[in-house]
Amino acid sequence: MNENQKEESILAKLKDILQESCPEVEDWSSFGPSTTIESLGLDSLTILDLLYDIEQETGVHVEANEVVTFQSIGDINKLLLVKGG
Amino acid sequence: MESLRSESILLKDDNRDHIRLNIPDDVMQVLQNPDKGLILAGGHFGNWEIAAHKLSEFKPMAGIARKMNNPYVEKLIQSRKARRRFYPIPKHGDHAGRLMEVLNTNQILALLFDQHAGEYGMMVDFFGHPAATFKTTAMLHLVTRTPLCYMECIRTGTMQFEINSSPLIQLEPSGNKEVEIRSILMRLNLELENSIRKDPTQYLWGHRRWRD
Repeated sequence: MNENQKEESILAKLKDILQESCPEVEDWSSFGPSTTIESLGLDSLTILDLLYDIEQETGVHVEANEVVTFQSIGDINKLLLVKGG
Repeated sequence: MESLRSESILLKDDNRDHIRLNIPDDVMQVLQNPDKGLILAGGHFGNWEIAAHKLSEFKPMAGIARKMNNPYVEKLIQSRKARRRFYPIPKHGDHAGRLMEVLNTNQILALLFDQHAGEYGMMVDFFGHPAATFKTTAMLHLVTRTPLCYMECIRTGTMQFEINSSPLIQLEPSGNKEVEIRSILMRLNLELENSIRKDPTQYLWGHRRWRD
């Protein structure tokens, strides 16, 4: 799998996870790396949910200092690419 | 009133005449280990403020606190000197990263888990009736793998307190988030029920746990 395919695959996983965590978001058509955390309305609990699901799905453990840097889906995607190898 | 007067005992170098600690070895090892954080879960039982300040003698401790509705009470609280190493995190500043940072820097995070959680909670039995219970304590434990225990601070006499801790809560990982959260919350609710059974007068019953 090349880098682009890996990125697409992680993005699809993130979308699946977030669709379960954010049932109030109706339109997922523009979901992508530029989607901001703020626009998804993620609160503390949803972010913890997301971190748990990410670890279960990808085996990647995200640290606190990494969580505070998240501004967009692209940030999470990049981190998972780096940490997931 | 005792909480407001508690500075007189908390600022003493030796306050063992007023506060007795009953802490199992596994929790004490975490408290004394500078490389480990700890999640302290408790309810609105006894004097949780005294427990927070006393236990911050071991390592810095953060707790989530909301602004009081009564401005005079809020002013009184704000005017009190910081004691030991306890510091509050404003309720609306409780970003997940901020809470995780407390634990990643090997401090103690104290969380009261027994308010009505509404739609954000998980329905877990409390005294035999389903009650919406906050999941944050369980989620932080699962995500950060920080040791977790239940703690109570019971008033035993005038300016006399006893801090009791459960052993560390151990969980067999199942990979099923709902099962793991429920298992932790059931254990915490059970611990709180046991505290309340010892002395129901020391529980703050005003939180109306069974609203749904």
